[in-house]
Amino acid sequence: MTQQHEKLSAFMDGELNEAEFIDSVKNDSELQAKWRSYHVIRSGLRKEATVMPEFDITARVAAALENEATVLAPKSKWRAIPGVNKIVPFMRQSGQFAVAASVAAAVILGVQQMNQPVPTEPFTTFQTTGTPQAGLAPVSLEQSQTLRNNNDTEALLEKRRQINALLADHEQQLKLKRAEEQSEQTAEDNPNQP
Amino acid sequence: MFSTIYLIKRTVETVRLLFVLFITALSTAAIAQQSDTEQAVSTETESTPEQGADAQDEQQNALPAVYSPDEWLVRLAQANRHRNFEVSYVLTRPGQEVIPYLWRHAVLDDGTEVEQLNLQNGPGQEMIRIDNIVSVFEPDVQPYSIYATAIAGPVPADLLYKPSKLSEGYQFITIGRTRVSGRAAQQIRIVSRDNNRYNYQLWLDEETGMLLKLNMVDLQGTLLEQVQVTGVNLTETPPPYFNKINPEALPMAVAMTPQSRRHEWDVRFLPLGMHEVKRETRRLALTGQVVEYKLFSDGLVDVSVYVQPAQDSLDSDVLLRNSTNTFLSLTNGQVQITVIGKIPPATAYEIAHSLSASGANG
Repeated sequence: MTQQHEKLSAFMDGELNEAEFIDSVKNDSELQAKWRSYHVIRSGLRKEATVMPEFDITARVAAALENEATVLAPKSKWRAIPGVNKIVPFMRQSGQFAVAASVAAAVILGVQQMNQPVPTEPFTTFQTTGTPQAGLAPVSLEQSQTLRNNNDTEALLEKRRQINALLADHEQQLKLKRAEEQSEQTAEDNPNQP
Repeated sequence: MFSTIYLIKRTVETVRLLFVLFITALSTAAIAQQSDTEQAVSTETESTPEQGADAQDEQQNALPAVYSPDEWLVRLAQANRHRNFEVSYVLTRPGQEVIPYLWRHAVLDDGTEVEQLNLQNGPGQEMIRIDNIVSVFEPDVQPYSIYATAIAGPVPADLLYKPSKLSEGYQFITIGRTRVSGRAAQQIRIVSRDNNRYNYQLWLDEETGMLLKLNMVDLQGTLLEQVQVTGVNLTETPPPYFNKINPEALPMAVAMTPQSRRHEWDVRFLPLGMHEVKRETRRLALTGQVVEYKLFSDGLVDVSVYVQPAQDSLDSDVLLRNSTNTFLSLTNGQVQITVIGKIPPATAYEIAHSLSASGANG
């Protein structure tokens, strides 16, 4: 093969006078390609090549593509970046740390959950929903409500009055409680007493 | 080849790490558990300090005889009945002004028991008892006299005079010795037997058995009301104040004969030891509304239950606290039910909801 190349080179330089070599070139596509590339190289060396000759690589690219195995998702090459190589094991280790820590946290939480004392008093606060405190009145932005608000304050006052009446009565009853017990006894002791 | 070694190494590392962390977690949990049990143990020991304190008392001071809690209260009642004294005390409620009182008591030469309770601030209020007649002088009210063996003051009369009445609803526990108002005192807890009422703490003078301090606390231990004695003056002779009282000048005693009325309703739930004291139908002094009324008492706490028609009622449910009184008003169909008393709201709620119609034993 190299002999053929040498012959070709000599033929180009006009040093070879073998008529049959031309025929062999004619029949050999590889030699033809060589012939072409030698000419390109020569004109390149002589700085004659103004236009790129048909330096055809499309065929080869096409062939390479044909031969290339189909890769759907190319492998990420970020590990190739310098420095990343050192970070990756660290990251991986801290990932392990994270897993271990979360397992430990789960264990702690679980143990704590299991050791929690059983609530003994389910009823600690008094349910006050539905029993609004006195002094809470519905508030509205409607202007037509002004009159009713007046009524509300009146109702509120009335409510306060009633509450106070009941509280005062309660206090009064406490004062008299003993009195009645006693006077009952006295009445039993002296039936003549009014 | 390299990668498999690396993998094995990594796995071993991870396992080791996990193991170490697991051990730490376990040990912390174990410590937490241990401290929990320690706490439980310590609370157990705390919950029975009365016995420990009792034992200590017995060992340490044989000088003032060791009394049982009931005996302490008997001493209190005896002191209140038979001693001549002048006591000044203050009534405190959180967030309110302190109310000072002066309390005098004497047994005169002829055996008459006299007592005076005076509210010291403002226009005041004066109550004078001569044996079983209590005269009340208040601003804005005509002076009047009623038959009673005790003055209705800030300290429950049954606690002062008839402690045996309280034992059905409350338990007395001696806690230990402390110092109150500059005197050695015995602390006694008064705990309701069913946790439906507020609890009390009582401090009695070791020497005389007289009241030095009384706290009313709610179920969480928050102070609600406090009576604190600020000065005690025990005398052999009756305080000279009582010489000035002219029994003739006091208003005539009014006999009040309670009239039991027939009610169409009954209270099914009551705290342990609480009994009906009276029931009646009357008009409220301030509004003139007709109410059916029942009063319940366990000696320390009085609870009023009012039932009135719903049409002239508050038209909404009300729960509020007036000083230490809980005021709960519910409208239940045709009637409005109101419960007032020094009880926790939950208890008031339960009482109000336990009302039911009963024609049979009303």
